[in-house]
Amino acid sequence: MLEERLRFETLLSELSAGLIHVPASTIDAALERALQQVVTFLGVDRGNLDVYEEVGRGARISWALAGVNESPHVLDDDQFPWTAKQLGRGDIVRFSQVDELPEEAAIDRASYERAGTRSKVCLPLSAGGPMLGVLSFGSVRSERAWPAELVERLRLLSEAFASTLERKRVELSLAERLRFEKLLSSLSTAFSQLSAGDFNREVQRALHRVVDFLGVARGSLIEFSRDGGTAHSWAIEEWMDVGEFPWMTSRLQRGDFVSFSEFETLPDEAAVDRRSYLAHRVKPQVAMPLMAGGTVVGGLVFSTGDTERPRSDELVLMQQLQLLGEVFAHALSRKQGELETQRLRQELTHIGRVSAMGELTASLAHELNQPLSAILSNAETAQELLAADVIDLEAVREVLSDIVADDRRAAAVIQRLRILLKKGDLDFVPLDVNEIVGEVAWLVKSDVLIRNVSMRLELAPDLPSVLGDRVQLQQVVLNLVLNGLEALRPPPAGPRSLVIRTARGDADAVMVAVEDSGTGIDEQDTDRIFQPLYTTKPEGLGMGLAIARTIVDAHGGRLAAANNDQGGATVHFTLPARRTDEC
Amino acid sequence: MLTTAAPLVFVVDDNPAVRKSLGRLLALAGYRVEEFASARDFLTRGSPEGPCCLVLDVRMPGLTGIELQETLAAAKRRMSIVFVTGHVDVPTSVNAMKRGAVDLLTKPIDRQALLAAIARAMAKDAASLSEELRVAEIRQRIGTLTIREAQVFALVVTGMLNKQMASVLGVGLKTIKVHRAKVMAKMRARSMAELVRLADAAGVHAGVAQAVA
Repeated sequence: MLEERLRFETLLSELSAGLIHVPASTIDAALERALQQVVTFLGVDRGNLDVYEEVGRGARISWALAGVNESPHVLDDDQFPWTAKQLGRGDIVRFSQVDELPEEAAIDRASYERAGTRSKVCLPLSAGGPMLGVLSFGSVRSERAWPAELVERLRLLSEAFASTLERKRVELSLAERLRFEKLLSSLSTAFSQLSAGDFNREVQRALHRVVDFLGVARGSLIEFSRDGGTAHSWAIEEWMDVGEFPWMTSRLQRGDFVSFSEFETLPDEAAVDRRSYLAHRVKPQVAMPLMAGGTVVGGLVFSTGDTERPRSDELVLMQQLQLLGEVFAHALSRKQGELETQRLRQELTHIGRVSAMGELTASLAHELNQPLSAILSNAETAQELLAADVIDLEAVREVLSDIVADDRRAAAVIQRLRILLKKGDLDFVPLDVNEIVGEVAWLVKSDVLIRNVSMRLELAPDLPSVLGDRVQLQQVVLNLVLNGLEALRPPPAGPRSLVIRTARGDADAVMVAVEDSGTGIDEQDTDRIFQPLYTTKPEGLGMGLAIARTIVDAHGGRLAAANNDQGGATVHFTLPARRTDEC
Repeated sequence: MLTTAAPLVFVVDDNPAVRKSLGRLLALAGYRVEEFASARDFLTRGSPEGPCCLVLDVRMPGLTGIELQETLAAAKRRMSIVFVTGHVDVPTSVNAMKRGAVDLLTKPIDRQALLAAIARAMAKDAASLSEELRVAEIRQRIGTLTIREAQVFALVVTGMLNKQMASVLGVGLKTIKVHRAKVMAKMRARSMAELVRLADAAGVHAGVAQAVA
């Protein structure tokens, strides 16, 4: 007796020590090994570890001798109502023979007899909280006694199992929470850096990841337009044409959840939807409205389709969905907002360009006049040559070829004007900043001349290229140069000079600076110069620097201004250098 | 060669196409043409001998056309200027004309207008040139006077009487009369009025005479 007790103590400590160090992923296997050891030690026919779950049956770890059927689930309310109730209260159920069961356990007794169970002991598993499961041992070949001392030792054993189960539950839920947090943060990062152009691809990717995480088959994101219509939808797996689900869509638009486990339970007005669910073989589904700024911007729908994969914790799922919903809602509203700002920005740059054109008109007329003047003189010369008694054909030919060349020069001026006036979509391509500066310098050449300013370019060689929209970046440089020229309007004491400089900025950036020898920026104005409609010029729109800053921001750069030590001001901007792995 | 007598037109414009087309047009019209890309380049060229004029762009990098006009005036260099510009601005134009420009033409430049302006500029230059020659001739005559004769010349054209001059110069009345006759002969003046005009043209005045004395 003492020897048996010692053996049991040894087994118990071995099992406990073994289970403590097992990682969560192999706990089930370890539990099964432990169960087998106990069954062998006790000399019983089968042992079970049933994990309790509120919804449906939980996982079961069992061990039975060869040729012995697995025992029925004692937590099954239908077969074992009395046993389940006892265990639910935290009581141990044991009987050496089924006759020991009380009157009220008649149903249980019949179930035990049907399963061939002759003796049984069931111990509720708890780690100080709610019931985690049941550890049970049964004998089918013979009846056996469960002395109090043995039950007490089994209770100790059950505590080791319970704490292991609890550890597994905590670790798994922690792991899942971590996994969820990771998913959530990576989704919000992906969405926050998203430009409108990448939206479709990124949403598809996000849906795939969420669907994988939730273990569902289908997911879709619906976008509602501001006028209440359905703007767009993205989906995984042949899913979903919102037209097929008018009832669900209208519910979502009202801000309601549409969640069901079987579509047959949907009301009559959802007849169209029900047909579609049937066609798509949709079983449980959850659809949640996406709210942003008090309005429904879209909906997020998940369904399991044919493969049913029950979720253990509805509450956790709903919390996760809510958080995911926020991420998607944010993405949708950001996308809508970005499209709006992008449109505004294009509008603004167009206005900016046109107003800059106004300022440049005089100088551009001058620029056009040069080739036109040469053409006129050459044409008149040709007329003279042709009027001579002996026509010098060689001279005429030379004059005509000059006319052609000058005409091309005039056309080039007009072509550049067109480019500047173009109100097109953004076109991000690799660009040479020096080239852009050169083009703008060419454009303002006459303006600079008319204003009697000396303009100098100091371009750093071998600059890395940047990714940007040519026209917009030209616009930025143009605005800064016009701004600098404007600063030179009240004649400063020294020479009127403007320097456009390019350089390699720090941290893989390219810098463009426009330095003027004007009067500088008033201290009190340094914060305001980039604001729209701020101007010191009587005829200015006050948009130049504001537009420049908007564009530079959109290119991931920075625009700043400062006064020079030797007088005047420098406005400069940096653009991130293009990494070689970018397109 | 006789063609050296062909009047010379300088074209100063920073735009190569304009410069070349103007040069070609003027050459065909019978002028000798010299082209310059900047005002500074033009200044390095010495003063021309014969009749000439300047077709000058108003706005150029570096020294502008207007500044070149001022520089030439300050150096008292004879030069008739026809301005050309692609961008008319009234104050600059008025200024240029006030400083003696012959004309200011807007690009694109009409051939007839240009040739007419150049003809006027050449006429003006010819007039200045002959005036210059006349002054040089008078100066040359003044150069033949002795110091005493020069003093008498300077004083007599101020309307001083022989008696007064004798007193000022501390010589006898007779001596003054002899010097005066010598001045009239050497200056080839037939009357007192003509002598005064010659003195004016050469910029001779009493101050000079007193200084000489």
